[in-house]
Amino acid sequence: MSDTIQVVSFKLGSEEYGVDIAQVQEINRMVAVTHVPRAPQFMEGVINLRGQLIPIIDLRARFGMPRAEHTKNTRIVVTEIGTKRVGMVVDSVSEVLRLDVAQIEPAPEMITGVDTEYIRGVGKIEDRLIILLDLAKIITGSEKRELDSADVEAVAAA
Amino acid sequence: MPADEFFDRSEFVQYFRDETDELLNSIDADLLRLEQFVDTGTIDAEIVNSLFRALHTIKGSAGMLEFAAVQQVAHKLENVYDLLRKDRMPLTESGVNLLFEGRDVLTALIRAAVSEAEAPGGVDEYVERLDAFAGVYDSTAQAIEGPRGADDQEEDLTPVDEEQLSAFEAEVARLLAQAEARREFAAATQDVHSAEDAQSARDVQSAREAPAAQEAPAAQEAPAVDVSSAQAAVDALFAERPAAGQPAPFAAAFAPAPAQPEPQRAAAPAALAPAANGSASSSAPAPDAKRVVAAKNQTIRVDIERLDMLLNLVGELVINRTRISDIASTLGRELGTNGRANDALSTLAKDLSESSALLARTTNEIQESIMKVRMVPIGQVFDRFPRMVRDLAKARGKDIHLEIAGAETDLDKTIVDEVGEPLMHLVRNCVDHGIEPPDVRESRGKPRHGTIKLNAYHEGNQVIIEIADDGGGIDLQRVREKAIRIGVISESDRLSDREIVELIFTPGFSTADQVTDVSGRGVGMDVVKKNILRLKGVFDVDSVPGEGTKFTMKLPLTLAIIQALLVNVAQELYSIPLDSVIESQRIDASEVRTVHGSEVITLRGQVVPLIRVAEFFRLDTPRDPDKVMIVIVGLQGRQVGLVVDSFQGEQEIVIKPLSDVIGRIDGISGATILGNGSISLIIDVHSLVATAYGSGRVTRAEFSGV
Repeated sequence: MSDTIQVVSFKLGSEEYGVDIAQVQEINRMVAVTHVPRAPQFMEGVINLRGQLIPIIDLRARFGMPRAEHTKNTRIVVTEIGTKRVGMVVDSVSEVLRLDVAQIEPAPEMITGVDTEYIRGVGKIEDRLIILLDLAKIITGSEKRELDSADVEAVAAA
Repeated sequence: MPADEFFDRSEFVQYFRDETDELLNSIDADLLRLEQFVDTGTIDAEIVNSLFRALHTIKGSAGMLEFAAVQQVAHKLENVYDLLRKDRMPLTESGVNLLFEGRDVLTALIRAAVSEAEAPGGVDEYVERLDAFAGVYDSTAQAIEGPRGADDQEEDLTPVDEEQLSAFEAEVARLLAQAEARREFAAATQDVHSAEDAQSARDVQSAREAPAAQEAPAAQEAPAVDVSSAQAAVDALFAERPAAGQPAPFAAAFAPAPAQPEPQRAAAPAALAPAANGSASSSAPAPDAKRVVAAKNQTIRVDIERLDMLLNLVGELVINRTRISDIASTLGRELGTNGRANDALSTLAKDLSESSALLARTTNEIQESIMKVRMVPIGQVFDRFPRMVRDLAKARGKDIHLEIAGAETDLDKTIVDEVGEPLMHLVRNCVDHGIEPPDVRESRGKPRHGTIKLNAYHEGNQVIIEIADDGGGIDLQRVREKAIRIGVISESDRLSDREIVELIFTPGFSTADQVTDVSGRGVGMDVVKKNILRLKGVFDVDSVPGEGTKFTMKLPLTLAIIQALLVNVAQELYSIPLDSVIESQRIDASEVRTVHGSEVITLRGQVVPLIRVAEFFRLDTPRDPDKVMIVIVGLQGRQVGLVVDSFQGEQEIVIKPLSDVIGRIDGISGATILGNGSISLIIDVHSLVATAYGSGRVTRAEFSGV
């Protein structure tokens, strides 16, 4: 068993985040999002991904950051958590990184802008800090639902 | 368990669950039929056989999965049916009740086994009672196992008592006396005796079967002799002799029988066993039954998720079909208007439009076929009611006949699944509150037994399900009094009978004091109605005092594809299911008035309240100062006008659920993907209106309340 994990890293503002590559289904350019009224505020809407309706979360809004204009670098990271598929709007996608598990630290108590609940840890690679996200916590949204977080934990334990 | 290495146990367990579900239902139905023979002295053998086979199958499957408790109870019940089948036990009411109970015990055991839960209590106690009951009629219950259980039964069977033997001898003597019937057989055995090659084994087999068939009726025709004890003895002896089934010793021993009593006693049972006891019939029906089932039931089980997936894909196909038709017609138009079309292009455009028409036809057919695949008969739901009504009626001291018609009427699986609960509620209601006790009925000049009729049939694109009883009907006076008491209406309100009946659907109406109010209908009627509305159905109640009550539900055949009116609201396209749309109107802005701050219009003399969809959805869109586009929707007899920006025509849409990540959104029931790939949200008229009204209409406060 390898003691590294692969993560897809992306940016929100000046911060760099990472999600486990096993949970990323694909990365798309920004497309027209159909607004869903009365949905939680961070819910950008839904898109048609090859005939499937995928809910889109504005990750900035989810983390309480100011929304940003969409640019040519804006991407939708389509993730799969359990049986649920969710797209997340991010400022830009950087690369796929290999992180040494030993280099991952638990989330520090204070991180600007982000509720630590969503953070699995902080990975260090050279002088970069990658905030590793717990996707299951992000998509459970306003309702507290016990999701099959087994997948997430299994990956974390890898 | 080593077996696990070789097969996917969970799949088998799942199969077992499905299979036993069906079998348990058929057991219920058969028991209800069987019950009619109680104390009549006769019995329909086919029913008993069917019960026996069902239990036999359950026992077998349970054995394979090592569900020992299930196997055991199924086995014990099987024994009882075997006694019935062989006419060795009279059919009594207490017996039938015990069998009904057995079915329930089995159900509970199977549930527990399948879900790997702890076995339910009371099973041992039940088995004891069953044993005691069966024991009266069958002193050698074990012997019924016959040849099948020969190996492991040996220790139980060693004591062969003298009495059994002498009874058996008497029987043998009687049978032997029928020398006439034997002659052919004797000849056959002689042949066998002399033949030495392997080929002869087959002849022996047939020779053996021949007399068996002849002697079986003979044994039954002898009431003077105690057939059962002779038979038990035969069984016992037969079981002790594993070699008995083999042709050679059998034939050899039988031939000299008349002359030598000693060997006869030992060997003859082997010959008689297939004749006198049920061994031929107890093993034969199982394969037979399977063949029959296979022949009349050409079906396979398919996971509903796979069908959903297929339906989803077909939905895509429908969308793309629309898209291609659009492209074809646009292309044709462009080529026509540009006037510079060369022949080759025109031909291509024509081909495209033709083949897209063909594609459209095929797609429609696929769609229809898949919808049909998803259809299941409503009988699946109806099946559980006979038993329920029986039990409930007994518990309430009522005499109720349940008549079922149209059980074969089929509708979408999802609807069948969802409709079970409301139906059960209604049937229960008929038993509890509809049908009067026998004495009351008699005093009202009605037959003592009440009747509940369950009926289903197709009508156009809908399925109608009716639940009718010939009970006392809804007591309007009491409903009215209660409505006043709980403050739904006031003393001075003048309501028509119809409106009073409608009151039973008021949320919380029935729960208020259902314990004391026995005659009043409506235990959770609001929930029933809500569930049916959710299925895009219509629910109605008709009641004639003294004559009975009839509930009618009209349900769509399927939920997946609907006709919708597309409208623009704040630059987005929304779909409004056409079944709730009455008309669309474009009116002058000046015609909109306000009543208590709420906007209304007057339509043919009727005041129709308005809901501005954009404002309800908190969307930013300017109001048109000149004209207002209104979609009039009907809702439980009321009309409401939905204000939109513009109309975009009608279209057939495939409903897709919004991801549960988003959660429930008031006023939205799902979404659909349109021909051009864009998404249109589907407006849930019921919840939109309910939400708007629930919060005191759509007022400013509603918007700022977020």
